Amino acid sequence: MSKITLGLALTSAIALSSPALAAYPEQPIQLIIAYGAGGATDLSGRALATALGPKVPQPILPVNRTGAGGATGTASVAAAEPDGYTMVVARVGSHTVNPAMKDTLPYTLDDFDFVAVYEINPVACAVAADSDIDSMETLAARVNENPGTVSYSSSGVGSLLHIAGAMALRSFGVENPVEAAIHLPMAGGGEAATAVLAGTADFICTNSSALSSFVANGQLRPLMVTTAEPVAGFDAPTSADLGKPELESLVGWSGIAGPAGLPDEVIETWRGWLEEAVQDPGFQETMDRFGSIVDLKSPEDSVAFINEQYRIFRELVDELDMRVE
Amino acid sequence: MSFLDSAAAGFALVAHWESVFYLAMGVLVGVIAGAVPGVSATMAVALALPFTFALEPIYGILLLLGVYKGGIFGGSIPAILIKTPGTPASSATTLDGYPMAERGEAGRALGMALYASCIADLISNLSLILLAGWLASFALSFGPPEFFTLILFSLTIIAGVSGESLVKGLIAAASGLLLATVGLDLVYGTDRFSFGDPNLMGGLNFIAVLIGLFALPEIIDFVFRPKEEHHQARQLGGRWATLADVRRCLRSIIRGSFIGVFLGAIPGIGGAPAAFLSYAEAQRNSPNRDNFGKGEIEGVAAAEAGNNGVCGATLIPLLSLGIPGDVITAIIIGAFMIHGLQPGPMLFVTHAHMVYALFMGLILSSFLLFAIGSVAIRAFRFVADVPKSLLAPSVLVLCVFGTYAVNNTIFDVAVMFAMGWLGYLMRVLKIPAAPFLIGFILGPLLENSFRQAMLMSGGSPEIFVRGPITWTFWALTALALYLIVARLRQSWRAET
Repeated sequence: MSKITLGLALTSAIALSSPALAAYPEQPIQLIIAYGAGGATDLSGRALATALGPKVPQPILPVNRTGAGGATGTASVAAAEPDGYTMVVARVGSHTVNPAMKDTLPYTLDDFDFVAVYEINPVACAVAADSDIDSMETLAARVNENPGTVSYSSSGVGSLLHIAGAMALRSFGVENPVEAAIHLPMAGGGEAATAVLAGTADFICTNSSALSSFVANGQLRPLMVTTAEPVAGFDAPTSADLGKPELESLVGWSGIAGPAGLPDEVIETWRGWLEEAVQDPGFQETMDRFGSIVDLKSPEDSVAFINEQYRIFRELVDELDMRVE
Repeated sequence: MSFLDSAAAGFALVAHWESVFYLAMGVLVGVIAGAVPGVSATMAVALALPFTFALEPIYGILLLLGVYKGGIFGGSIPAILIKTPGTPASSATTLDGYPMAERGEAGRALGMALYASCIADLISNLSLILLAGWLASFALSFGPPEFFTLILFSLTIIAGVSGESLVKGLIAAASGLLLATVGLDLVYGTDRFSFGDPNLMGGLNFIAVLIGLFALPEIIDFVFRPKEEHHQARQLGGRWATLADVRRCLRSIIRGSFIGVFLGAIPGIGGAPAAFLSYAEAQRNSPNRDNFGKGEIEGVAAAEAGNNGVCGATLIPLLSLGIPGDVITAIIIGAFMIHGLQPGPMLFVTHAHMVYALFMGLILSSFLLFAIGSVAIRAFRFVADVPKSLLAPSVLVLCVFGTYAVNNTIFDVAVMFAMGWLGYLMRVLKIPAAPFLIGFILGPLLENSFRQAMLMSGGSPEIFVRGPITWTFWALTALALYLIVARLRQSWRAET
């Protein structure tokens, strides 16, 4: 072996052993989506990956890893190497509601470093169009008068819908919604909305995007949205109008996170990408059609937002004894 | 806009070479994806979705529908040729399709699968167009109690697919029900049999179980007992499904199509139960009853009619109510929304021309499915000509890849191998695999609907007799049980 080749081999060996992040990303990045194809998280994550495509030097590969209400995929990211090549679309269900409700979850919030929250989904509560419940007050009064008769559907234990129904009832004066109202877990968001449509359940509180077509079609009637501003297409008062501004913490969101211990460089690089992606007209249009609000929060705000939501949910879970063990 | 105006506008929308092109592309992609074990119709539709973003809405949606229909038919090709259902809905097709292939009648089985699929598809599309309103209100009256009684009735299929011993069939079904309980409990959210492993919390993956149970035992058996004839190629067989075959099976095909239409219109059931129910009904009514499971062409016809009958019908709740009937239609709803269309009753008012264009495209798709399916069968014929000593390892590789691709975890591959050994053990003990699968599919539906109904009623069992639908299914269940017992007594008497 000549000296030159030996030298070359040595330098390349050194180059390889020096921190690989010198030019992050050097290889394709897996973006884990812990929910199934076609769901809100999947569409959001894939829209983001599409918008990132031309901006990122390496491919971003969205991978659906489903199961256990998002826990299987999320846990696999928590256990991955924090090298920036395995990231996850963090979601309200997997990263605040589930950790707040389930002690047996194989991960906690501390297992993740959050890059940013990039999307907010307003929450709306709705009843069937032919229901005689015409406001949140009537709904709460009905629950208080006839405990154990009014039901709400959800997409499973530990989903946003599960906690949203309880939280909404409680702020409208139902002392113990877990006892007084029936929680009807269905096998998915679509089935949960169908249950209200078919009269199996009386009301539902979920992301406005999941309800918008039913509301537009006059099949479901919204009672309230939980944002400060009214939601287009939803002829219903905001929670602030109803004097319950505390319900504004009840919103869905999506963000990007990686395993705890991500190098700063990775977080900063992703920040830059996200800032560009949210400007992408195609991405904005897609998000718009799903009734999402594109809202890229700074890293500090994102972490504060997630922790605050987690704290509120956790308190509610403790007070109502909704903990799953 | 009057009906004629809308229909004319719809025709103008669909009468372009592009719509035929994208529909044909969709069917082709679907057939190929469906024919690869592990790549289910659901995955194929999900993968095709991003490609539709840039297309005109009608082309995009037709493309996805083409993938869906093609995928459901395509799944029958490996089900018949290599005993590996390409998609869960075609598991019932293996029961008679594979024995036919072993006998050298693969061509006849594939041909019948195609005829049955296309006839069922056409019936399903026509039902969508003519009966959508009526079937949609029927579907909405299906709450958890109705669902429970329907699934209970469906469990009587087990007797039909148990083969020689009902006891062994029941053992298999009970094991399937048991394995289906692994994972999160829907109602309380507690972990069952997960041993703290996040992979098990999600339950056993359906595709992994399916492939393990059906494809692997065949391969393991081949490894242990390599027979002489395995080195020789099987023949596709000169025989094609004849018109006489179709005529003989026509009753089963039509019955199966309508079973598919009804089950497809009810959200949350899907193609596999429809195929099994159709198969069991065909068997119950056939003069060749005892030949089912040994390579009876009518079994292939019934199973394929059942699963393709679901395809058009799942669009009934989608178009008329805006609710997805299964995972595939959930993805298709996403495509509607991306194109700014909101499925539901208003779609017929605001985008009536679009609805009519879709209807016309769907009718066209049945014929495209026939044309492309015929080509596909001929293209896949070489699989039947490959000697088993080459085929078995190739199938194994495909199975591993397909199972891995579902969730991108090696855990699922491990589940597949474990199920493969279980399937082999069952094969050695002559315990049939089909009842196991039915238990595995129906178990969660049975349990969840039971518990949801009990939550609704506050624990009172009266809810299970709350209306004519529940009464009907109780009566059907009783009748099915009576027939099973009567037949058992008959066979005992014959023995003694």
